Amino acid sequence: MDDLQFRRSIYADPKSQDEALLAALQADPSKRQFAQELNHLDDKIAQALNIPVPEDLSDKLILRQTLASHQIQKRKKRFHLALAASVAITAGLLVNFTLFSSAHSNLGDYALAHVYHEQGHFSNDANTRVDLTSLNKKMAAFNGNFTNTIGKLIFADYCRFDGMKSLHLVFQGKTSPVTVFVVPKNDQISFSDTFSDSKLIGQSAAFDKANIIVVGDKNEPLSAWQKKLGNNISWSI
Amino acid sequence: MITKQVRYEALVKALHGDLYRYAYWLCHEKQVAEDLVQETFLRAWRALDSLKDEKAAKSWLITILRRENARRFERKRFDMGEFDEASITDNQSLSNEQNIENAWLREKIAQLPAEYSEPLVLQVLGGFSGEDIASILNLNKNTVMTRLFRARNQLKEALEAEPEKRGLYNG
Repeated sequence: MDDLQFRRSIYADPKSQDEALLAALQADPSKRQFAQELNHLDDKIAQALNIPVPEDLSDKLILRQTLASHQIQKRKKRFHLALAASVAITAGLLVNFTLFSSAHSNLGDYALAHVYHEQGHFSNDANTRVDLTSLNKKMAAFNGNFTNTIGKLIFADYCRFDGMKSLHLVFQGKTSPVTVFVVPKNDQISFSDTFSDSKLIGQSAAFDKANIIVVGDKNEPLSAWQKKLGNNISWSI
Repeated sequence: MITKQVRYEALVKALHGDLYRYAYWLCHEKQVAEDLVQETFLRAWRALDSLKDEKAAKSWLITILRRENARRFERKRFDMGEFDEASITDNQSLSNEQNIENAWLREKIAQLPAEYSEPLVLQVLGGFSGEDIASILNLNKNTVMTRLFRARNQLKEALEAEPEKRGLYNG
């Protein structure tokens, strides 16, 4: 290692552990002396560079970070709250939609389903009779009134007709009970004049305040029923 | 969350001194140095997850700090072409000879061009090797060694040019 090379490397890094440099130091006492001088200078430089650090700096740094992350957390909390709120609203809407929307899109389908559901409850030969007064009490909810008794009324009560409060009447028919629904008008369900399936047939008639649906088996003269009902019900304003 | 907090606090405790000194030698102003360190650690906190190797923490922080310092100049051009000497001298009490010499040497270091003083600070203060400094400063190693050589050479010459006794002589 020549002198220039030695000077360059010892100046660049006095604490170098480079083997060639150490060998050169070993071989030449004057180089050792020079290296020592430079190391001394380096210690001074280190001392000079080692300026005092403000005592509270680390505390300040931690404080600032804590504040910053607190801000972030607050923002996160707000975000989570918003998320929870929108989930709740969505769930609410969904429940609302599934529970209270019409499962059947037209009047006839629902009427048939309703009749089949309650088929076992009524028998054509039942002796129970509902008189005109109690029928009209119930009919008053629909602003209607029966003027005369039509046929033999087995059963009359309110029921839920696809989520709507309606009147459910069961008359004695020729071979099986005839069911009459008085249903308030509703835009959600499409009106169907006549409907039928393999066993039952039905007819609907729209009045001012309500629809009247008659369902019976194929032997029933439904038009006659409708006519009778139409003639006997008077609607108040 | 807690472990991140613990990591961060450990990082601050272990390295804020070195970082502050480094910042000081970059900008020669205590207040600016403090701001730089604050900004650096705040960025470090946000990006703490990207720090995989704890051993690399120091050079990682220094890289952030250098970027932060450069940004300072992008934002605002300081009239710092020639810094005035008063602002770079250390104004702590000069009670003994060691302090006087330190203050004098600090002045000389501050007068070094930044391209010389920066590798020197990294080497002496940061304890980085030539390769490390080269990678932090984006230079090749030979350039770094040359700059280190010139930095020490200038300081040594300045030291030798200085008379043995300094200060005011009355009478």
